[in-house]
Amino acid sequence: MNVDVPRKRLHVIQGNFLVSDQPDVVLTTILGSCVAACLRDPVAGVGGMNHFLLPGSANGGSGEATRYGVHLMELLINALLQKGARKDRLEAKLFGGAQTMSRLSDVGRKNGVFAEKFLGDEGISVIGSSLGGELGRKVEFWPVSGRARQNVLSGNETLKTVAREQPVAPKPAVADEVEFF
Amino acid sequence: MSMAQKIKALIVDDQVTSRLLLGDALQQLGFTQVTVAGDGQQAYEIMQKDPHHLVISDFNMPKMDGLGLLQAIRANAATKRAAFIILTAQGDRALVQKAASLGANNVLAKPFTIDKMKAAIEAVFGAL
Repeated sequence: MNVDVPRKRLHVIQGNFLVSDQPDVVLTTILGSCVAACLRDPVAGVGGMNHFLLPGSANGGSGEATRYGVHLMELLINALLQKGARKDRLEAKLFGGAQTMSRLSDVGRKNGVFAEKFLGDEGISVIGSSLGGELGRKVEFWPVSGRARQNVLSGNETLKTVAREQPVAPKPAVADEVEFF
Repeated sequence: MSMAQKIKALIVDDQVTSRLLLGDALQQLGFTQVTVAGDGQQAYEIMQKDPHHLVISDFNMPKMDGLGLLQAIRANAATKRAAFIILTAQGDRALVQKAASLGANNVLAKPFTIDKMKAAIEAVFGAL
């Protein structure tokens, strides 16, 4: 009898991120217009994935949407650094950002553009990406080996996925600001 | 000359994008004298040569983090009176308390809004 060794599959939901240095962990997510950035330090053997949808337009500038996206990227990077990664060794794979008929805006494309610009500005090389298109994706990422696999969703699955995706309002890390004086 | 134009501000963050966003926010608030540093060590060297009135620093950075920079600035006679605002992406109560005990003027959570940044600066300097 052939028995598969159970792998630890951890699902990354929208607005969230996970990092791991365990070889048997697989990070998974399902993307419509959302984008997932998979980052990894091959030397430290640690990697992680986030999953975001920027609220409104994310066409650069200093808007709330950009700050929110930067925040989600920063949380992932900080968590990787805490597990021993070094920023100058990080490499990235990007997935998602589908442009579906059910969304009138081109939010999917903007999310992809944001992620590429952010990584470019930070000097993190993108070694693989699958962005855009009309269909959603189911993504698996092995954070230690850096292996990634995607399955394209059917048109129906894509519609259901996109319907679930709503921009999440930025949530500050500390309970609002604290004034000392 | 407005208050914002008089203040020399130093932005400290290891992420290029965060520095750009912060610089942009300060420009929108009327600041014209803004210097940037990529980590606490670099910021401290800048402060020793040219003390700035306001330091807005990320917490989590390589070499010297935001609290380390705050301690170093408060320990130096030439720089100890600078206003110091800490920005944090993953802060908790313990960090806020530590920052307060070390003499931070304010702690702001990322992602910040322009209004909150303005309020945090005005709490120290008065109307910009």
